[in-house]
Amino acid sequence: MLAIENLQIRANPFDGPALIEGLSIKVERYQAVGIVGPSGCGKSTLLRSIAGLIDPVGGEVAIDGRSPMELGYPEFRRRVMLVPQRPTVWDGSVCDNLLRPRSFDAVRHEYTRGGCEAMLGKVGLADKLDASAATLSEGEKQRVCLVRAVLAEPDFLLLDEPTSALDGGSVGWVESLLRQAMSDNDGMGALVATHDRAFAERFCSNVIDLADYMPAGKVVSHA
Amino acid sequence: MLELAVDEYVSHAIVLSGWDLAIAAGLVVLAGLISLLLRLGLEGRLAIASLRTVVQLMLLGLVLRFVFDPSAHWLLAVVVAVMLLMASREAVRRSESRFRGLTLLALVSLTLSAMFTTVMVTGVIVGVEPWYEPRYMIPLLGMILGNGLTGVSLCVDTLLTALREKHGHIETDLALGATRWEAARGPLRDAVRRGLIPIINSMSVVGIVSIPGMMTGQILAGADPAEAAKYQIVVMFMISASTSLCCMLMALLIYKRMFNSRHQLRSELIVKAGGS
Repeated sequence: MLAIENLQIRANPFDGPALIEGLSIKVERYQAVGIVGPSGCGKSTLLRSIAGLIDPVGGEVAIDGRSPMELGYPEFRRRVMLVPQRPTVWDGSVCDNLLRPRSFDAVRHEYTRGGCEAMLGKVGLADKLDASAATLSEGEKQRVCLVRAVLAEPDFLLLDEPTSALDGGSVGWVESLLRQAMSDNDGMGALVATHDRAFAERFCSNVIDLADYMPAGKVVSHA
Repeated sequence: MLELAVDEYVSHAIVLSGWDLAIAAGLVVLAGLISLLLRLGLEGRLAIASLRTVVQLMLLGLVLRFVFDPSAHWLLAVVVAVMLLMASREAVRRSESRFRGLTLLALVSLTLSAMFTTVMVTGVIVGVEPWYEPRYMIPLLGMILGNGLTGVSLCVDTLLTALREKHGHIETDLALGATRWEAARGPLRDAVRRGLIPIINSMSVVGIVSIPGMMTGQILAGADPAEAAKYQIVVMFMISASTSLCCMLMALLIYKRMFNSRHQLRSELIVKAGGS
C-alpha cells in the first residue's frame, strides 16, 4: 500500500504560501485513485513530492510501511514511479528509450525487444519501435513514456495528466494499457493527477478534489 | 630529471635596446596607418591595446624583479594567492550560469590541481631548490592557471547549462530509478570533455601549426631548441594534467552541490548570469 499522511507542500519549498495542507491518501494495489483540481493548484508538485524528487514541507510518504529514506530513494522511485506531465525522451530510437532503465545498475528485470514491441502495440505504436523518438508527436511521446514506466513494473504509478496530449482514441488505448497493468498478477496501483474530472471518475475508484486541501483564500488559475 | 642546460645558451641572448623596442612599436604604428588609410577604425583600439601591453608588461617586469627575490616568502605567498583568486573569479565570471558559492569551488579545484602540478614540476621534474623558487614557480603557475581557468569555465558553463536546460531529462532518469550519479554522469562527462577540448587541440597541433610562446621565448633568449622542446613537452603535459584534474574536480564538486543525498536535483540554485 502507498500511504501519504498529512502531506503539506509549497510551490517553493523554502518560502511562500502552502499549496496543499493536511492531505492523506491511501492507494492499494489493483486500485486507481484520482486527484483532481484546477491547473496551478499543485498537482505536479504533489506528485513530485510523493516520488521524493522534492521534499514536502511536512507529512510522510511510505510504501508498505517503508519510507523513501529506509528503502533508499532510487529503490523507492523504482517502486513508486512518476510519469511527468511533460513527456521526456532521449535522442535515439523509441526502443532505446524504453530500454533506458536497463542502464541503471540496480535495475535487474529483463526487458526484451519483443516485450517492448508488444507493449507499444497496446497503445497504437507497434510500428514505431525503431523510429527516432525525437520525431514523435507530443501525444506519441506521452504514450512512449507511459509504456516505459509500465515496462519497468513498479508497484505504483504516479501519473501526472496522463491524457493531456492525447486524442480520444489514444485515451482509450492508454486506459486499457493501465487497466491491464493494474489487473495483472502483481497488479499495480495508480495515483492519477488530472484536470479531466470525467476521465478520473471513469478510471479511478476514488477521486480526491484538491480544492478541499487548499488553504482558504488561495487563488488559482482555471484551465 | 630535466637538466638545467639552458644556462650555457643564455649568453647567446641578444639584449634589446630602447631603439629595438621603438622599431617594434613602429610596426604597430604602420598597422595603425594602414587602418587609417582603409578607414577600418581600428587605430584607436590598436593604440590603446599597444599602450596597455607596454605598461602592463613593464610593470610585470618590475614586480617580478621583487617577487623573484627568493628570501621574500611573504611576497611569493601573496602573489600566488592573488593569482589563484583572480583565476577562480575569472573562471566563474565567463560562465553564463552560476550559483552561490561557485567561485569558492573554482578556487578549491584550481588551487589543488594547479599547486599539485606546479610542485610536481618544480620539486620533482625540474628539481629546483627550494621547490618554491619564485623564478620557476610563478611562470609555471601562471601558465597552468591561464589554461586551467579556460578549461574550468567551459566545463562549468556546459555543466550548469545542462543541469538547467536538461532538468526534465535528469529528473525523468531519477524518476525511473536512477541514482544521482547515473542521472548526472552524461552531463558530467560532456562538461569535462568540453573543458579539455582546447588543451587536447593544442597538444595535437603543437610544433606543427604553432610554436608555443614559451618555447619561442626560450629560443629567442638563446636556449638550445632541443632543450627548449623538452621544457615545452613538460609544460604541455603539466598543463593538460592540471586542466584535466581541475575540470574533473570542479565537475565533481558541482555534482555534490547540485544533487543532495536524497538523490534530488537542486537546479533551482542555478541562476543565469545577469538574470535572476
